[in-house]
Amino acid sequence: MQVWQEFRGNTGGLVGAAFIVALVVASLVAPLVVDQAGLDVVTATGSPLEPPSGRFWLGTDESGRSILLLTFWGARVSLLVGFAATLLSVLVGTLVGVVSAHFGGWVSAVLMRVTDFFLVLPALVLAAVLMAVLPKSMWTLILAIGATSWPTTARLVRAQTLAVEGRPYIERSKALGGGHAHVIGKHVLPSVLPLVFANTTLVVGGSIIAESTLAFLGMAGPEISWGSMLDRANSSGAVTAGAWWYLLPPGVMIVLVVLSFTLVGRALETVLNPRLKGDR
Amino acid sequence: MRFRRFRRSRALLATLAVPVLVAGPFTPAASAQDGEDGDRSVLRVALVQEIDHLNPFTASFASSTMIGRMAWEFMTPPSAEDATPTGGVAEKWEPSDDGLTWTFTIRDGMKWSDGQDLTSEDVKFTFDKIMNDPVAAEANGSYVENFEKVTAPDERTVKVTTSEPQASMTALDIPIVPKHIWSKVDDYSAGETDTLDMVGVGSGPFVITDYQPNRIVKLEANEHFWRGKVDVEELQFIQFENADAAVSALQSGEVDFVNRLTPAQFDALKNTDGITTSQANGRRYSDLLMNPGAKNQAGRSIGSGHPALEDVTVRQAIARAIDTETLVDKALGGYGQQPGGLVPEIYDDYHYQPSGDEKFTFDPQRANTMLDEAGYEKGGDGVRRTPDGRPLEFTLTARSSEEFDVRTADYIVGWLGDIGIKVTKDMVSDNEMDEKTTAGEYDLALSGYGTNPDPDYILAKQTCGALPTSEGSSRSNAFYCNPAYDRLYKQQLAEMDPAKRAEIVKRAQAVYYKDAPSFVLTYEQTLEAYRSDRWTGFPRQPRGDGVIMEQTGYWGFAGAKPVNGGGEGGMPTGAWVAIGAVALVVVAGGGTMLARRKGSADDRE
Amino acid sequence: MTVSTTGEPAIDPDERRAGTSTVRYVAGKIGGALVSLVFVVALGFFLFRMIPGDPLATMTRERPTGAEQLAHLRERLGLDQPLWQQFLDYVGGLLRGDFGTSYMYRRPVADMIGERVWPTLLLVGTATVLAVLLGMWLGVRAAWRRGGMFDRTQTGIALALWSMPQFWLGLLLLIATQGVFPSRGMSSVDTPDGAAAQILDVAWHLTLPCLTLLLVIYAQYMLVMRSSLLEEMGADYLQTARAKGLRDDLVRRRHAVPNALLPTMTLIFLQFGMVVSGTVTVEAVFSWPGLGLLTYEALRGPDLPVLQGVFVILAGSVIVMNLLADLLYRVVDPRVRAS
Repeated sequence: MQVWQEFRGNTGGLVGAAFIVALVVASLVAPLVVDQAGLDVVTATGSPLEPPSGRFWLGTDESGRSILLLTFWGARVSLLVGFAATLLSVLVGTLVGVVSAHFGGWVSAVLMRVTDFFLVLPALVLAAVLMAVLPKSMWTLILAIGATSWPTTARLVRAQTLAVEGRPYIERSKALGGGHAHVIGKHVLPSVLPLVFANTTLVVGGSIIAESTLAFLGMAGPEISWGSMLDRANSSGAVTAGAWWYLLPPGVMIVLVVLSFTLVGRALETVLNPRLKGDR
Repeated sequence: MRFRRFRRSRALLATLAVPVLVAGPFTPAASAQDGEDGDRSVLRVALVQEIDHLNPFTASFASSTMIGRMAWEFMTPPSAEDATPTGGVAEKWEPSDDGLTWTFTIRDGMKWSDGQDLTSEDVKFTFDKIMNDPVAAEANGSYVENFEKVTAPDERTVKVTTSEPQASMTALDIPIVPKHIWSKVDDYSAGETDTLDMVGVGSGPFVITDYQPNRIVKLEANEHFWRGKVDVEELQFIQFENADAAVSALQSGEVDFVNRLTPAQFDALKNTDGITTSQANGRRYSDLLMNPGAKNQAGRSIGSGHPALEDVTVRQAIARAIDTETLVDKALGGYGQQPGGLVPEIYDDYHYQPSGDEKFTFDPQRANTMLDEAGYEKGGDGVRRTPDGRPLEFTLTARSSEEFDVRTADYIVGWLGDIGIKVTKDMVSDNEMDEKTTAGEYDLALSGYGTNPDPDYILAKQTCGALPTSEGSSRSNAFYCNPAYDRLYKQQLAEMDPAKRAEIVKRAQAVYYKDAPSFVLTYEQTLEAYRSDRWTGFPRQPRGDGVIMEQTGYWGFAGAKPVNGGGEGGMPTGAWVAIGAVALVVVAGGGTMLARRKGSADDRE
Repeated sequence: MTVSTTGEPAIDPDERRAGTSTVRYVAGKIGGALVSLVFVVALGFFLFRMIPGDPLATMTRERPTGAEQLAHLRERLGLDQPLWQQFLDYVGGLLRGDFGTSYMYRRPVADMIGERVWPTLLLVGTATVLAVLLGMWLGVRAAWRRGGMFDRTQTGIALALWSMPQFWLGLLLLIATQGVFPSRGMSSVDTPDGAAAQILDVAWHLTLPCLTLLLVIYAQYMLVMRSSLLEEMGADYLQTARAKGLRDDLVRRRHAVPNALLPTMTLIFLQFGMVVSGTVTVEAVFSWPGLGLLTYEALRGPDLPVLQGVFVILAGSVIVMNLLADLLYRVVDPRVRAS
């Protein structure tokens, strides 16, 4: 509760959170509200690359579809990939971090080697290769992004777990015969998770940008997303033709979403990390 | 201390930036003059495709072979008029009565660009090399597969004996090279075969004079060209990573010619002063492959095609469900021709156009009826099923790198959905596409091929002989195998009379069309643009409505004429000055702000 | 692919123990780096082999090729050998500096990489240096006047820029400055030959791609510098210094900033990986002839030898940069220095 009180005081975080909630609701509602015929090239009614007008507020794409509609619909995939990839990444990262810090010894050494190794690989190239190897779909994309972004969370979680486990009451708990599950479940996780949560919001931003980048490189699945819209805008020559209305909406949405998550993340970090209070 | 240094260095950086910003623009602007560069006329062509080699024995990419055509003459190049064989290295050519021996008479007085005579020895050397050295056969080996022996009884005569009659002997796309240069080479794959010493001697309208990989290839007019020295004194192919960059360069005057434009780019350039756009009927067809039950040469089934596609009715229904007019209009921006047989309309002697009821016109109602009557009933979800209950769910494989593929795939999904067939897109890399189509691992696939003036190449791809052997190399276009077709193919190959041959070729295409192992969607038009304020008179091939670049010949660039006193290229100088001024103001303003802030900070104690 | 904006240096707490001797530390780090490198090479090799698609198809795409020729090509490229044999050949080649031959261009990969390294270094180097300078300067300013107009604006701008996909920013800049800057490449082919003209030409082409990279990575440095300076400023010794009557400026320059520099400096090395990823898209958008563009083109094929080579080089340089960061931290860590 106290967390929420403090969070409320942070304007940036509030605005960000509000925006995200609104967007998620909109995406969930979309299938009920949107006329999906407008997304099908065969039934598109506009002419190619029309600038914004009364009829099409954000103009049309190269097949004559409304960009407003496409942007609205694209939010679903972009958000889904962002959230799912982050979930995967954070789960794996947290697991690796906690296990490594808690058990120490050779387990830790091996896990840390693996983590460092993944940190070193050029994430984009690795993700692109995964997309090339496996069938191109949204799920592969989620896997690819998740598989390349977990190391940072792992390091963070490990550092935090080590800090927590160094505290006296943990020693006492172990001395009293508390098993691994007990120590981790009752002591470590409650301390670590809030920080993980703060970090998660930042990872979501990164995942959404990663999705758009991979789509731009031609490595995404067939669904409509903000990244795929930008890719189409570029490769159909719309950019050369000066069709700024095709380029702006998806990009602006990405910026707004990532910014919102970043603001929320920073707000949470402030709340949870007392040393930084008042300095944001 | 450290901090002040930062501030100072920032100011320093800012000051340095100004001269760069101001002086820089003048550098490119200065070089964008008219077609005359000093007293030389230089034609600068943008090249978006890669070049693999200049060595004509190993060069496979279309861009490399195009440059090769500029540098080395063929025996009988396709004419500018209508792409029929015309004199080149050979002046006369005659088949023997049994069609197995061809006699070529080499043109008198032909010389290489280094002054040496071009004789029958060079021709024999070239052919022998390809016949005997597998490395040298990498590029053009298929043309000589049928050759048994090549002799040069005298300086001006070459006799080629083949094991079977070959009507396509007049369409040999083989650059003839100088024996006195190339006989010194042992390894034709060595890097040195791409150097100027080797490729810089030729017999074409141009001579290669400079090659910087991935940057530029420069050629100069050949003084010894047998048709006479051309007006283009220097021809440059400048490498660009993508078409957008090439288009910007055309607009700024950095290059004179751009090809392979997308419809959007073409439309954007249409009404620009000083630039002329050119749309040409192409020699490439795009088709939708429908896996008719892929088999290899031994008759064994390969791949993973959906069994329903083995039924010709299903394929024909699919053909009738596709609206090629809308496709051309929407996916190609109108820049495509309506389809017929495999040979595009541009080669009208051999082009086949189905008529009447034979033609698969866009008629979804009829397609639905056909499928209904054949027993493919629609299930509750609107998707048809085979009589034994398997739903008609097909995967459409297409290249993610091709604009046309990407757009068309969406349309096909929509149209086939309307007749009860569920299609899922699978966009793959070029490589994966080749692998899947070669192995028969596809239901539907978007493909296409460039054709030649001589239909033999493309017709051969549909024969049973083109099917993959057990090792997996396949030349087959659509896994088509029909003995009736094969008979017609053999007939046309042996038929020396052009009119009769054309008839047979059309009949063969008609058989293919009806069996519908693939459905030709369109003949894409080639979209090009050039600076008409500097160059004009590009001969097209075929004359009138053909392409300029990527011809099966050198006419386009060899025949270009510079426009004298052309306009200035690049941005008007005024704009550059304005930009420099703005930059100055921004930097000055920033600097002042810095200074003021510093003052106020120090004032506080 | 993200790093927190609070400036936590991702250095393992284990290694801050001041007990370890420097030599052991260095040896351990270098050993670790070598092991990573070996894994990278192996991973690169086997991973790329999994990509579907027959490389021969890329090479013979546009020319009719007979079965004999295909078999011959396959043999020449060693593609008919068993996989482990190909791997050993590959490693042997690497040690000799031979990265194999590109499928698409049929040139030695080492040559191709060699050609493209310097443009990427130029682009990344210039952008990094400028980003560090700009970021640190802005970070210090913002922290020192925290909460003020300057701070809030700068932080806002940095956050917004940090939230942008780099390629999008590049495309926007292209559209916005249409025609002013060259939209592609590193130089124009018809620039006069003099050194000054050539340099100016390259600098002119460098502007937009460099600006794009710069705008996204400076934000990270700025935010980190700011955070770490804010942390420093709360430290006790600074209160003492002020209490003694030292001027704000001096306090800032002599104590706070240098100490706050440390995490930022190490961040430069650690962020190298992110910058590397950025160059692929930026070079693709601006057709800058560097390693990034090479990767982008190779992905289209896919051209396995080139991808492998670039992968090893990029991962290798990140390993080296991390190694340098670890060594630097060890040398400069105040806890170690103090003891």
